[in-house]
Amino acid sequence: MPSAEGRKGFLRHAGRPLITLAVSGLVGFLTHALGLDRQQVISVTIFLVIIMSTLLFWQFRLAIAFVGIGALMGANVLTLPTFIEECQLDVILFLVGMMVTVGVLKELGLFTWIIQSVIALKGMTGTRFVAIIVFLGAFMACIVDEVTSIVFVATLIFQVCDTLKIRPMPFLIIAVMGTNVGSAGTMLGNPVGILIGQNAAPPLSFLDFLRWSFPIMILGLTATLGILMWWFRADIRLLSERLQARRELGLGLGPLIQVPYKRSLAILVGMIALIGSHHFLEKTLNLAPNTVLIVAPLVIAGLLMIWRHKRSRHYIEADVEWWTLLFFMMLFAVAGTLEHTRVTARIADSFQAAFGGRSFLLIPLILVLSAVGSAFVDNIVFVAAFMPVVNKLEQTSLVWTLLLGTCFGGNITMIGSTANIVALGMLEKRYRASIRFLDWLKVGLVVGLVTGLIAWAGVAILAPYMPTVEQRLQKVGMHSPPPTTPKGEGIEIYRH
Amino acid sequence: MTVEKNHIQFSSLFSPSEVICQTQEKDRDKVLLDLLKRLAYQRGIGNVDEAYQAVLARENDMPTIVAPGMAMPHARLDAIKDLVVGVATSREGIVYDPRQPDNRVKLMVLTLAPKAAPGAYLQAISSLARICQDPATPDIVASLPTPEQVWSFFDKGGMVLPDHLRAADVMDPVQVQLQEHDTLERAIDLFVRHRLNELPVVDKDGDLIGVVSTYELLRVCLPDYILWMDDLTPILNFEPFAEILRKESKTWLTEIMTTDYATVEADEPAVQVAKEITRQRTNRAYVVRGKKLLGVASLETFLSKILRE
Repeated sequence: MPSAEGRKGFLRHAGRPLITLAVSGLVGFLTHALGLDRQQVISVTIFLVIIMSTLLFWQFRLAIAFVGIGALMGANVLTLPTFIEECQLDVILFLVGMMVTVGVLKELGLFTWIIQSVIALKGMTGTRFVAIIVFLGAFMACIVDEVTSIVFVATLIFQVCDTLKIRPMPFLIIAVMGTNVGSAGTMLGNPVGILIGQNAAPPLSFLDFLRWSFPIMILGLTATLGILMWWFRADIRLLSERLQARRELGLGLGPLIQVPYKRSLAILVGMIALIGSHHFLEKTLNLAPNTVLIVAPLVIAGLLMIWRHKRSRHYIEADVEWWTLLFFMMLFAVAGTLEHTRVTARIADSFQAAFGGRSFLLIPLILVLSAVGSAFVDNIVFVAAFMPVVNKLEQTSLVWTLLLGTCFGGNITMIGSTANIVALGMLEKRYRASIRFLDWLKVGLVVGLVTGLIAWAGVAILAPYMPTVEQRLQKVGMHSPPPTTPKGEGIEIYRH
Repeated sequence: MTVEKNHIQFSSLFSPSEVICQTQEKDRDKVLLDLLKRLAYQRGIGNVDEAYQAVLARENDMPTIVAPGMAMPHARLDAIKDLVVGVATSREGIVYDPRQPDNRVKLMVLTLAPKAAPGAYLQAISSLARICQDPATPDIVASLPTPEQVWSFFDKGGMVLPDHLRAADVMDPVQVQLQEHDTLERAIDLFVRHRLNELPVVDKDGDLIGVVSTYELLRVCLPDYILWMDDLTPILNFEPFAEILRKESKTWLTEIMTTDYATVEADEPAVQVAKEITRQRTNRAYVVRGKKLLGVASLETFLSKILRE
């Protein structure tokens, strides 16, 4: 008779693998029963194993993704050329370029200057501080992606909270939620943004994001700020009181030094200008859509590495998150297999059959699916798998719905986005403190629901003004239908 | 937590035949050698010369005068399996430490512990804690004329070896501490004057309320957002430190005091000290009774007492 301790140990070690296998097996059986062929069943099952590994075996997710790719190739569902085609090297290289550039900007003092500018502000109050971290987090995410943004804003929060001896948890949650909402504002805000922009058919430009997504983000951000100010009003009041007491003693919030920030600011402005004008440059130079967008961070990173050649190896080895990028590549390839085996086409057909072209039904449906999906699963997994479905539904508004749903949905749970996980990791490392899942969920649900409603209303109102897929194709000088399956055909058309 | 479980009497570790009573010898080393020879004859401790060299090496390094007039020399030996104790008394006293010629030792308790028994010596010394605190003990024991009476003194004293070492057994007394109303200026003064890198902060009742460290002070001057920068030109002249200098006299300790430190209750097993030091990734644990600060168990002291004494 096994002891209670023994049973616990067994459940702890074998429980999660058994759950993963059972769920994957069940889904495999169901998909087979639904009439999917062998290759479709294998691709769905392995995709699900990888999704569950991100939930249940966070530390092993990359290892499981490697094995999953091997299994797909072994089962002849994925070939090596298809893997190379599907792993989205363009997105990966864009992210490498951004990470290197951000690493250099950090060393040059840009982020030090930004944080010092906040610390040095006269007449700071709790309310102002919260407004600053929400908007700073959001706008920095728009420029340098959500993870980079939250690392810097969290440092600012820790500095202020340590100095004032108040708990940082509420302010960290506020900043993370602002950052997540803000990450929907531009193509640079979130890896999801560049993935959607680059894989939409036809691809979306930086200006498209500013025109259709940014205004909804601003509305969502304002609502988020209002909710969080009310939710954490007691902590904000305490921060105001401590700030006042400190001001009366003539003490600041941290040491201030003269930072030579102008060079780094010029580099950032230059990069944003280049990225912002990518569409114009591509048309002028007769380049394929988004060529400049993807290449600009790489070229800037290259130039910076030539300038600071002694540190160039450090930028590549330490500032680039290779672990995350490799996981993304594997994930994109596995999700691409779903498209290659026409699983996504079948899902899109089911949507088409059930809802036709009725966007008033499809918008809330995709919004809810993407928000709830990304609340529990890495949002990039969800987008990688769902993007082909949205493309096949051929409605521009659904692309923005998917973006807003995944970014806003990341606020619902504490594992909803990479920014949440990074911020909580920093908190745990610094204070040995953690937050309970339910505590986050309570405020996350409210923020998720309100911003979700704003996204729904925003997309529904703007949808009639959005260009149709055909109009977008004409705009980029093509008259072919958007890519359907197998994936890549549509993209190839633009690239020729 | 109760300490005494095994109820081993200190007096059971030796017999009257292992007591040198009222020796006329004035030389510390000769008394130690006589005592070791007697123990070798009575109990078997292996090579006497090796034991002698081991005891001398330790005493020459740091004389073990545990209380005025009382010394507890000791060594760890491969040849023995249990604690072995020998006692010597002197009416006139022995010059034990040339640097303290006036502090003559009248009672010597020699403890030999097995090599692989961490803390055995400390257990023995811990059992004698009560008599060590009484300054009359060496004179009283030295006045007893027979070995039987000396042994009887220890037997009747009810001294019992603790079941295990307590945190209080491996701590040092707090030499320097800060009060809650002190300023940063005083903390920096004490850091510099005593060459310490951490100071406990207590309130008016002596309760431990926090810790101030030089590392925290450095982190206040150089927070993360300054350390990100590769170019140190803006701080080459220690600009962030100048800010601290300007404000140190009106900055309360609470500004840099941390409440994240390792504490251990005095009566908890000493191994708890090692656990807390490891868990908190620090190099010292504060020994408290309730909230009252009793002492500091540093990693150096802990290792020295457990692995070397």
